[in-house]
Amino acid sequence: MEVKADLTLDLKGLLCPMPVVKINQAIKNVPIGGIIEAYATDPGVMADIPAWCRSTGNELVTIEKQDKVIRFVVRRLK
Amino acid sequence: MSEHVRQALAVFEKSLDRRLLAALEVCARCGICAESCHVFAAEPDFRNAPAAKAEAVRRFYRRLHDPIGRWFPWWVGAKDLTEADLEELAEIAFGACTLCRRCTMNCPMGVDTALIMRAARAMLTAVGKAPEMLAQLADAAIAREENLEFFREFYIDQIRELERELQEQTGDPDARIPVEKVGAEILYVALSGAHTILPAAILFHAVGADWTLSLFEAANYGYFLADLQRAKAIARRIVDEARRLGVKEIILAECGHAYTVLRWEAPNWFDDFPFRVRSIIEAAAEWIQQGRLPLDPSANPEPVTYHDSCNLGRNGGLLEEPRVILRAVVQDFREMTPNRAENFCCGGGAGLVAVPEWYEKRMRAGRRKVEQIRQTGARIVVASCDNCRLQLGDLSEYYGLGVRVSGLMDLVVNAYLAARVKAAVPAVPARVHAGEPV
Ligand code: SF4
Ligand code: SF4
Repeated sequence: MEVKADLTLDLKGLLCPMPVVKINQAIKNVPIGGIIEAYATDPGVMADIPAWCRSTGNELVTIEKQDKVIRFVVRRLK
Repeated sequence: MSEHVRQALAVFEKSLDRRLLAALEVCARCGICAESCHVFAAEPDFRNAPAAKAEAVRRFYRRLHDPIGRWFPWWVGAKDLTEADLEELAEIAFGACTLCRRCTMNCPMGVDTALIMRAARAMLTAVGKAPEMLAQLADAAIAREENLEFFREFYIDQIRELERELQEQTGDPDARIPVEKVGAEILYVALSGAHTILPAAILFHAVGADWTLSLFEAANYGYFLADLQRAKAIARRIVDEARRLGVKEIILAECGHAYTVLRWEAPNWFDDFPFRVRSIIEAAAEWIQQGRLPLDPSANPEPVTYHDSCNLGRNGGLLEEPRVILRAVVQDFREMTPNRAENFCCGGGAGLVAVPEWYEKRMRAGRRKVEQIRQTGARIVVASCDNCRLQLGDLSEYYGLGVRVSGLMDLVVNAYLAARVKAAVPAVPARVHAGEPV
C-alpha cells in the first residue's frame, strides 16, 4: 500500500520489545494524523504492533511481509 | 492531600501484609546493604543505597503507622506523602531499583527492599505515574488475547515459515511446530520473536517431545508494574490455554520474570492449576543428564561466561542447571565472580530496558557487570533472559566490551547440530549463531 510517511524507521535486527518501544517513542514526533512507516525483521512484530495499535488507539494502516522484512505503517490518531 | 496521594495511599494500605510490615519495620540502618546493590556499586551516592531508597516509603509509613511519627513526625523522620514525593518515588522505585534482591541476601536482618519497591510501584501504577512504556506493553499483551482471532492468522503464518527452517535444520521434512494441539504433554511458551522458538523446536524434535507452542508470549509487563490485575490477566491467557489443551506441563522460554510469574506466583493466583511449570533450562539440563542429546562442545570453542539472571538464579533457584548445560556444550566455560545467588544484576532488570529515557541510567547501573565480564576474558556472555540479553548487548556496545551475547539454548543447539553432523546423521544444518536473532 502506497502512503507518504512523515517518518520512516529502520527496526531491523531489533528484538522484542524494542520495536514497540521505538514506535512509541517515534509516534510522539509526528503530528496527529501523521504516518510512520517501519521495517523490522523480528516476526514478533506481526503480533505485537497490531496489539500495541489496538491498545493505544492508533491505526495500523498496513502490515505485510516482504521476504524476510516486515513492513508496517501506523497512523497516529491520539 | 491530593486525589493522587489519597489513591496511592489506599493502594499502599491494601498491600501492607505481614511481609511488607516486617520489611518496613526491621531495618537497623547499618548500611551493610549499600555495597551489595549494583546501582550503589556503580555510583556510590548514599541515595543509591537500598536503605535510602526504602526510606522514601518508610517516611510516609511512619507518619501513618508509627505512634511517635503520628504526633512528633520530626522526631522519627516521618513525613506526609505529597504529589512531589510521588514523582521522586517513581524515579526510585522504577528507575533506581531492579527488584533484584541482592541487598536482601546481604542484609543481616533479611530486609526485603525489593518488596518495598514493589509496593511503591503498585502505588505509582495506580495513579498513572509508572513509565508509560511498561503500561503500554502490558496492555498490548492483553489486547493480543482480546483480539485473538485477528492475530491467530498472522501468528500461525509466521510459525509455518519457521517450521520450514526447522525442517531444514533438522533434515526432517516432517518436523513440526504444533500450535493448539489438544492433548499435547507440554505447552511451550516462547517470547515474542523467533529466537526463542526455533532453538526450542529443534531440541523438542531431538528428544521426541510431545509439545505445542503457545499463542501467547511469556513476558508479563504487568508484573513489572506491580499491577496484580494486569499481571494476572496476562498470565491467565497462558493458564487458560494450558487448561484448554489439557497439557501436563508448561515449559517456559529463557526469561527471568516469566519464570517468577508462572512458576512461583501464578499457582497462588489461580485455583485450578493442574500443571508443572519448568523453564526450558531445567528441561534441557535433564535431557543432557539423561543422555538424550548428543552434544559436541567443539561447536562452541570460544570462552563463555554465564550471567545469572536475578529472577532465575537468586530468586528462582535455577543455579546449577545452567552450569550442567554449559559444561556439556561449550569448551571453555568461565565463571564470573561473584556468581550464582550472589551475582550482580545486569542493571536492566524489572523493565528498565524498555524505558528509553533511562538508557544512560541503566548503562551506569551496569558498570559492575561490565567489570565482572571483563575479568573473565570471555568472548560470549550467556544470559537466559531477554531482558538481561538486551542490557548486556547494550553494555557491550556502550563500554566497548566486544562480547557477543547469547541465550543458553542457542549454544545447546550448536552443540547438538554439530554432534549430528559428526555422527553423519543426514542433516547439514545452518548453525544458530550465538548472539544473533534467528
Ligand atoms: S536493609 Fe538491612 S543491611 Fe540495609 S541498612 Fe537496613 S538492616 Fe542494614
Ligand atoms: S533490590 Fe537490587 S536494585 Fe533494588 S535496592 Fe536491592 S540490590 Fe539495589
